[in-house]
Amino acid sequence: MKKKLVSVLLVASMALGLTACGNKDNSANSGAGADNAGNAGGNANVESTEAAGGDDAADAGADNADNAGGSTLNTDTGILYINLASEPDYLDPALNSSVDGGCLAVNSFAGLYTYDNTGALVPQLATDMPEVSDDGTVYTVKLKESQWSNGDPLTAQDFVYSWNRVINPDTAADYAYLFDVIARNGDALAVETPDDYTMVITLNSPCPYFNDLMAFPTFFPVHQATVEAADTEVPGTWAQEAGFVCNGAYTLQSWNHNESMVYVKNPNYYDAANVTMDELHFMLSADDTAIYAAYNAGDLDYIDSVPTDEISSLNGVNPEFGILDNLGTYYVGFNVNDPIFDGKTVEEAAKMRQAMNLLVDRQFIVENVGQSGQVAADSFVPLGMADGNGGEFKQADTSYYDATATGAGMVEEAKALFEEAGFTFTDNGDNTYTIDPALNLTYLTNDGSGHIAAAESMQQDFALLGINMEIESEDWNVFLENRKNGNFTIAREGWLADYNDPINMLELFTSDSGNNDMQLGKGSSDAAPDWADYDALIKEIRNTTDFAARVDLLHQAEDMLMETGAVIPLYYYNDIYMQKPNVDGIYATVFGMKYFMYATKN
Amino acid sequence: MGRYLIKRVLLAVVSIFIVSAITFFVMNAIPGGPFNKEKATSAEAQRVLEERYNLDKPLGEQYVLWLKNMAHGDWGVSLHNGRDIWNEITSRFAVSARLGGMAALVAIVLGLILGSIAALTRNRLPDRSIVFFTTLGTAMPSFVLATLLLLIFCLKLGWFPVWSSSSPNYVLPIIALSVYPMAYITRLTKTSMLDSLGQDYVRTAKAKGVPGWKVIFKHALRNALIPVVTYVGPMVAYILTGSMVVENIFTIGGLGSTFVTSITNRDYTLIMAVTLFLAILMVVANLLTDIAYKLIDPRITFE
Repeated sequence: MKKKLVSVLLVASMALGLTACGNKDNSANSGAGADNAGNAGGNANVESTEAAGGDDAADAGADNADNAGGSTLNTDTGILYINLASEPDYLDPALNSSVDGGCLAVNSFAGLYTYDNTGALVPQLATDMPEVSDDGTVYTVKLKESQWSNGDPLTAQDFVYSWNRVINPDTAADYAYLFDVIARNGDALAVETPDDYTMVITLNSPCPYFNDLMAFPTFFPVHQATVEAADTEVPGTWAQEAGFVCNGAYTLQSWNHNESMVYVKNPNYYDAANVTMDELHFMLSADDTAIYAAYNAGDLDYIDSVPTDEISSLNGVNPEFGILDNLGTYYVGFNVNDPIFDGKTVEEAAKMRQAMNLLVDRQFIVENVGQSGQVAADSFVPLGMADGNGGEFKQADTSYYDATATGAGMVEEAKALFEEAGFTFTDNGDNTYTIDPALNLTYLTNDGSGHIAAAESMQQDFALLGINMEIESEDWNVFLENRKNGNFTIAREGWLADYNDPINMLELFTSDSGNNDMQLGKGSSDAAPDWADYDALIKEIRNTTDFAARVDLLHQAEDMLMETGAVIPLYYYNDIYMQKPNVDGIYATVFGMKYFMYATKN
Repeated sequence: MGRYLIKRVLLAVVSIFIVSAITFFVMNAIPGGPFNKEKATSAEAQRVLEERYNLDKPLGEQYVLWLKNMAHGDWGVSLHNGRDIWNEITSRFAVSARLGGMAALVAIVLGLILGSIAALTRNRLPDRSIVFFTTLGTAMPSFVLATLLLLIFCLKLGWFPVWSSSSPNYVLPIIALSVYPMAYITRLTKTSMLDSLGQDYVRTAKAKGVPGWKVIFKHALRNALIPVVTYVGPMVAYILTGSMVVENIFTIGGLGSTFVTSITNRDYTLIMAVTLFLAILMVVANLLTDIAYKLIDPRITFE
C-alpha cells in the first residue's frame, strides 16, 4: 500500500514537472482557461499602430466603473501620474523603436532640435536653426553649452559618437536607416566638429526633412562613458536600470519593472529653469481595464488608451477625453502575387483590387470601429503631411476616390471594374450578386477586436458582389511573420510616420523594403505590376535637388502605388487621451511624442 | 530516506532535462521569431542579432550550446531587450514569491480552519455558509474576482489605490490569488476530516475522555492532512510563480506575466529560463511534499 502510494506520487511529481512548462495558465489551479482571455495582446509597445481599437477581450469589467463624470482628482501638484504603455523594451534612444519609448526619450534626453507646443520645430541644444549651404548638402549646427545629468560637459563629439554608434552594425538599431541621408567617410558619418560646439554635417543630397530628423529620438546623444561602462556585447544594457546618465529634463530615479517608473527633474538640464513639473511617475501597464480604473480612481492624471467599449460613451461627452492628430494611415493591403490573381493581366488584377477598394464602406468603419473621429482616407499619404517644399502634400484635388461615398453606393462601378477583369455577375434580385468565377479570399489580421470589427465590415461590403471573404486572426508575432513573407491574400496594415515627409510613407513599397508586405516587385506572378519604375522613381526623389519638382515626383509615386490597387487606405490615424481637468500644458506631436516637462497641475 | 532522496534528485535532473529539450524544440517549432516587429528590422540588423545569439546555427547545435552555457551557470540575455536573464528571473520571482507566499499562507491557514469548522458543524448553518462560499470561490475565475475586487475596493470604496508608484497595495492581489486554493483546501479538509472523525481511534480517544479540542487537532486533523498536503505542495509552487491575470490587473511585475510576454515575444532565452525555473520549483515542491508525508505520518516509508 505504502509502496504503491510512493510510486503514484513519483509518477505524479514527474508528470507535474513535465506539465509545468507550457500550460500553466490552463492547469488545475487558478481561474481555468479564462486566464488567457485577459491580455493576449500583452505588450503595447509591440503594436504601435493599434489605433483600430483596443486588444482586450476582457474589457467587460470596467464598464460599470462609471465614474467618468465626477472625476477624482489627484492633488500632488508637483507630480504627474501617467500611463503610456507597459514596460519599455529599451530606454537607449538609439535602440528604441516604439512610440511610447520615444515619449520617454523626449522627456529624458535632449537633441539638437525639438518641437514646441505649437508643433513647430525649434532649437533645443542647437543655438539656432542650422546654416545650410547653397547646394543644400552641408548643415552647420552650433551647440549651446550644456551638461549631462552628472555634470559632464556635453559637446559636439558626444553627438558624433552617438550617431556613429547608431549606424554601427553591431548596435543593430532598427532606425539606423534614418542616417542614410548623411554622407559617409569610410564607415563613419561625414560629421565634422571644427570646435567643441560646432557640427558640420554633410548629406548625400539635399533632404527637406533633415531638420525633423535631428529632432527624432534616434538622433539624441548618449553618454559615452556610461554606455561603455556597461556590457558592450549587448547594446542598450546601460539604460536597463534606473540611474543612468542622460541629458534631458528628467532622470530616471527608480524603475520597478512592469510596475512603475519614477522620473525626477534633472537640475543640469539646459532649460531646467522652465521645467514646471518636478516628477513624472509612469504606470507600466497595457491592461486597458486597469489603466482606466486607475485614471478614474485618481491614481493617474493622463492616459492614452481607454477600453474600446468606452470610447463611444466618452467621445464628445466627457471633456477630459481628447483626440490628437497623428500622421499615419490605417489600411488594407493585397499580396499582389497571390494566386487569386493568377491568369489575369496586370491591369485586370489592378481592376479587381480597385473594385474592392470602391466597395469598402469607410464611413461605417470610421464611425463604428474607429469611433474617435478619424477621417476616412482617400489617399495613402496621410492628411496634414508636409510636402517638403513648404506646403501640405495632400490637396483637395489629390484624392483618389470619394472616401465618404465608397461602399454600397458604388456597387455598380465596382461591378463594372470586375467585368472588365473578366468576371460575370448574376443578379440575385435582392441587391446582391453572384460572381462568376467564384472569388474566395482570406483576410489576415492580428487578434484585436477593432481589427476584426473592421474586417467584418469589409466582409459585408464585399459580399454585395458575391465575394466571399473569411477572416483569420493570428497571434501578433505569427501575423507579422506571415504578412512580411507574403503568406496572405489580403491583410490589415498600418503605418505611423516617423518624420514629416511623404517619402516615409512611399518608401515602404520599394522592392528592397522590409515593410513591403504587398510584395510589390518581389514575386514572379504575371499579374503583379512591373515595379522597377517605382524603385527608380523613389531613388530619383531621394536624389533630387529641386524641392518643387520633388513634390511632383512624390505625387507620381503615390499615383503609381494607388493605380495598382494594392493598398486600400481606410482612415488616417489619430490618438486618444484622457487628461484630468486640473492638468494643463501637456502637448504632443503628430508622430505621437508627448512632452510633459512644461505641464502644470493644481 | 537518504537513498530515496538521492534517487529522487537524480530523477528530477532527468525530468528537468527532458522538460528543457521538449521546450526548446517545441518553442522553435512554433511560427514567429524574436525579431518580428511592426516596422521591420533591417535585414542587416537581423543578421547581426541572429549571429550574436547563435540563431543562425542549426537547432541541435543551438540546444547543445544552450546546455553548455547552462552548465556554466550562464542563463544568457533576453533576445527582446538584452537584459540579463538571471537578474530578470530572480527579481520577477522575488515579487511573485512575496505575493504568492502570503497568498499561500492565507489559503492554507484559513482553508484548514474553515474546513475543520465545516466538518464539525456538518449540515448546520456555519457548514452551509462555508460550503456556499467555497463553491463560489472555486467557480469564479480569478480575472472576474480580481476585476470585482478592483471595482469594489478601489473605485467604489476607495480603500486602496488601483496603482501606486510609492506604496503598491498587496491586499487585493493576495485575496484574488488565495480565494481559489483556500476554497479548495477548505473542501479537502472538510471531507477528510469527516472521514477521520468517524474512525475508531477518534471514538476511542473520545471514550478515554481526551478533551474535545485535542481530539480534533491531534487525532482527527493530523490524519486529515494527508490529502491536503498532496494538494498544497504543487499549489504553493504554482502560486509562487505568479498569475498573469492578477499581475496585469493589479500592475504587479511578477513572473507570471513575464512568462506569457516572453512567449508572445518569442524571447527564446527567456522562455527556456522561465520554463526551467518553474520545472525546478515544481520538482522541489513535490519533493518537499513527500517529506511532509513522512513528518505527518511516520508509518510512511520510502523504500
